[in-house]
Amino acid sequence: MIALPAVCALAVLAVPVAQASPPVSVAQASSPVSAAQASSPVSVAQASPPVPVAQASPPVSVAQASSPVSAVLQASRWPSSTPPRPLAPRDIRFPAYEVRTLPNGLQVVVVVHREQPAVSLRAIVRAGSAHDPPGRPGVAAMVSTLLDQGAAGQSAQQLAEAIDGAGGLLTTGLGRDLSFANAVVMKGDLALGMRLLAGVLRSPSFAPEELERQRQQVLSGLKVALEDPTYLADLVFDRLVYGDHPYGLPGHGTVESVQALTRDDLLAFHGAHYAPNNTLLAVVGDVEVEEAMTQVASAFGDWARRELPPFSPARPPGPARRLVVIDRPDAAQTEIRVGQLGVPRKVDDHVAVDLLIKILGGAGANRLHRVLRIERGLTYSASADMESLKQGGQFVGQTSTRAGTTGEALRLMVDEFARLKRERVGDRELADAKAYLTGHFPLTIETPEQIATQVLNALFYELPLRDLETYRQRVNVVTLEDVARAALRLQPDRLTMVLVGRAEEIVPQLGRLGFSRFEVIPPGALDVLSADLRRAR
Amino acid sequence: MRLRPTPATSRLPAVLALAALAAAAAGAAPRPPRLNARQVTFENGLQVVVLEDHSTPIVHAQLWYHVGSKDERPGRTGFAHLFEHMMFKGSKNVRPELHASLISSVGGESNAYTTEDVTVFWATLPAQYLPLVLWLEADRMASLKVDEATFRREREVVKEERRMRVENQPYGRLSELIYAHAFTVHPYRHTTVGSMKDLEAASVDDVREFYRTYYVPNNATLALVGDFDADEAIALARRYLGQVPRSPRPVPRERPVEPPQTTLRRVTLHENWPLPVIVVAHHIPPDRHADSFPLRLAAKVLSDGQSSRIYRSLVYEKGHALSAFGTANIAEDPNLFFAVAVVQPGRDLDEAERALVAELERLADEAISERELARARNQLARDHVVGRASNQEKATHLAHAVVIHGDAASADREFDSLMEATAADVQRAARAYFTPANRLILRVLPPS
Repeated sequence: MIALPAVCALAVLAVPVAQASPPVSVAQASSPVSAAQASSPVSVAQASPPVPVAQASPPVSVAQASSPVSAVLQASRWPSSTPPRPLAPRDIRFPAYEVRTLPNGLQVVVVVHREQPAVSLRAIVRAGSAHDPPGRPGVAAMVSTLLDQGAAGQSAQQLAEAIDGAGGLLTTGLGRDLSFANAVVMKGDLALGMRLLAGVLRSPSFAPEELERQRQQVLSGLKVALEDPTYLADLVFDRLVYGDHPYGLPGHGTVESVQALTRDDLLAFHGAHYAPNNTLLAVVGDVEVEEAMTQVASAFGDWARRELPPFSPARPPGPARRLVVIDRPDAAQTEIRVGQLGVPRKVDDHVAVDLLIKILGGAGANRLHRVLRIERGLTYSASADMESLKQGGQFVGQTSTRAGTTGEALRLMVDEFARLKRERVGDRELADAKAYLTGHFPLTIETPEQIATQVLNALFYELPLRDLETYRQRVNVVTLEDVARAALRLQPDRLTMVLVGRAEEIVPQLGRLGFSRFEVIPPGALDVLSADLRRAR
Repeated sequence: MRLRPTPATSRLPAVLALAALAAAAAGAAPRPPRLNARQVTFENGLQVVVLEDHSTPIVHAQLWYHVGSKDERPGRTGFAHLFEHMMFKGSKNVRPELHASLISSVGGESNAYTTEDVTVFWATLPAQYLPLVLWLEADRMASLKVDEATFRREREVVKEERRMRVENQPYGRLSELIYAHAFTVHPYRHTTVGSMKDLEAASVDDVREFYRTYYVPNNATLALVGDFDADEAIALARRYLGQVPRSPRPVPRERPVEPPQTTLRRVTLHENWPLPVIVVAHHIPPDRHADSFPLRLAAKVLSDGQSSRIYRSLVYEKGHALSAFGTANIAEDPNLFFAVAVVQPGRDLDEAERALVAELERLADEAISERELARARNQLARDHVVGRASNQEKATHLAHAVVIHGDAASADREFDSLMEATAADVQRAARAYFTPANRLILRVLPPS
């Protein structure tokens, strides 16, 4: 999901926790549809039978020869033991769901789940920030922001009263390829939720005073975001990797583009893309399929089908080596991004590529975590993600470390990218990565939201729905050769590298570590839209 | 639902108000399902709470140690969290880092977190691996190993964590600033991540002492939710965790008591953040206090949804703030109810502050409307429903009920207590706590 970070940082206030390891977010990044859900943090498709028992309990080499200083702290008579055998494996299959299409082209997914007396509604429109009109980034984002700020004859505050009064939730947002609107209501309020959702999708008012209000919000949000090192690092990295393809442009726009956008821009975007034949709707929770379909037909059945505009964006450039330092003289840490153009979601070897990137830096494996955190204590978090979207994707390694160790961390990350292509992945390493993915499957179908996410993903990317059932088999057949072939996609001598931090301290390290060519963008000089990333003088 | 007195300031005649009340009650959301978990105490003092959930073949295990950053001694802030990291560094039968990798090798997830009050270790796994996670937790509860080199390296990791979460983000230090100025002696005055200086001062001896004192079965609670037979799960828990010896020493519980604040505090600070922030904080009673329920209702009225008072006033109508909210941080010891506004560029700070204070005082001056009460109740019901969808969420509520309330059933009673809180209760609580003498007003401005 494309989100400005301002509110996120503050949300941390309510729950001051610190985790031993960063939450695993690999799956999320590769699945923009998952971003469309407000509530469930987990995502992405997998399906599998039970995990082979032998793999589960590797013969644990009982405690390595302990170093002289180490000492067992408590209960010195605690017995030696090995991990216990698992219980009998359970039968696992992908839960039931229903997919139907209305005559106007609206695709509907229903997942019945009766544990909690609530229903969630998730609508996905197949147009996101990538569909912004040329030269006008931020239009799709403003459309999605204004959806619930007045619609179907109700003002913003009337809509808020209606959904809040019922204890419901109504949220809107967008990603690169999609926009979304979600509602959660208690089961007795399904008709209300459906009516509100239909209203905001079909007939948003785009009232001029609401546009001005939200324009101010977005501009202030950008002001905060541009001081946020993670936002800056991602912004610049995306731009370098995707070039002039719209995936490389700032989804919320720039200060200038947000100032320039008009109500007509919004009406035109909404008119072109928000159509039933361009929309997916999931109804999830405590409702029968037929009742759900009746309500969907009543709220959306008379939404007129429309011809969709052609979409033919610029192609992303081929990978090219570039190292950019965004100077922030008072940074406490350097945000680091290393990577390059990857693959779109719909490719034949997606599972092999996914395994490769997981071995580099994902759950169940993660060389970057081992090298940077466990062995050297350079960072709290080091990981690699695969973003795979409709039209393209990226591989990105990310970490953050203090200024004094920035060069070392960058060197290690670049070396790990190179090693991934140079050396074949080990047998055991691949087996572990596969065991993680297959074993993880039941964790991805726990809640009805997760189930719906997987079905929506498949529909959104036009993947065969039977893939939901066969995921585990498809993981298990991947061989070392398949992974080696996937690694041919990497071009480690043409990596994009972005550092956001104290240039004065970082720059002297770069030359020493073999990074002779780099650019430094001084504070306040960044213009992400220009080719050299600098504001015109 | 109890009958409530008609709010004194209601504009409706009494009869109409009662009618509105009845309508609200009739339209009330369905009661969220009860958890009805089983709770047992082992001979070694370990509390165990189990809940069968056969909807998916997975199991979630959560082990809570009743120790958090408020238990840290002076000069060792951040230590509870640093210690949490050390629990992944090996024990008698589990070499360093193997804990997490054994769990991921079967497709599971695991992690841990530390708060002011507790430290929580959790894992979600395919259901048949319940014995594995119990064995792992028992091993590190009974036989943790530490060595100097590992400790030093992990301390660097934690320092990077502090830099990442707190120092390198706009507003990352806000909660640190609020708590440092709101408390004078109670350890809530420092946040969980602690200070760099104290992290640097921590030693392996501290690790040993902390482990012996707090990481004992009689200071721990295990919550299991998932696809198992409850009797079998309890028997497995007993086989592994039941064998860890009880600590002969009592777990220390003495903490400095924060003296009542008697005059308004005003603090202005400067940070290199893009927009100024105003915080209005009040001391409130702890989790087990009856007023925690009306205070949670108050937070809903102020801050849940775009029709809530603070959003509508400061963000929507007056345009003072980019973001504004109020939240009740209800914790084991008396904590804070704080409202925050991130002020729009060029806006008058005094006006924004007055608007924020006005919303808090309005709760004391007049009762919330029946409509607002009904809305807040519906929102709390929804929180119960959407906040208890996963095994992990259920286990968190159950363990919290056991650790903080001493009784797993309080996770089910909580909903009724929230629904019984009245508009008058909210007003009474607001009058009691949202007073100038009990208030901190903190301004954080850009560098002058």
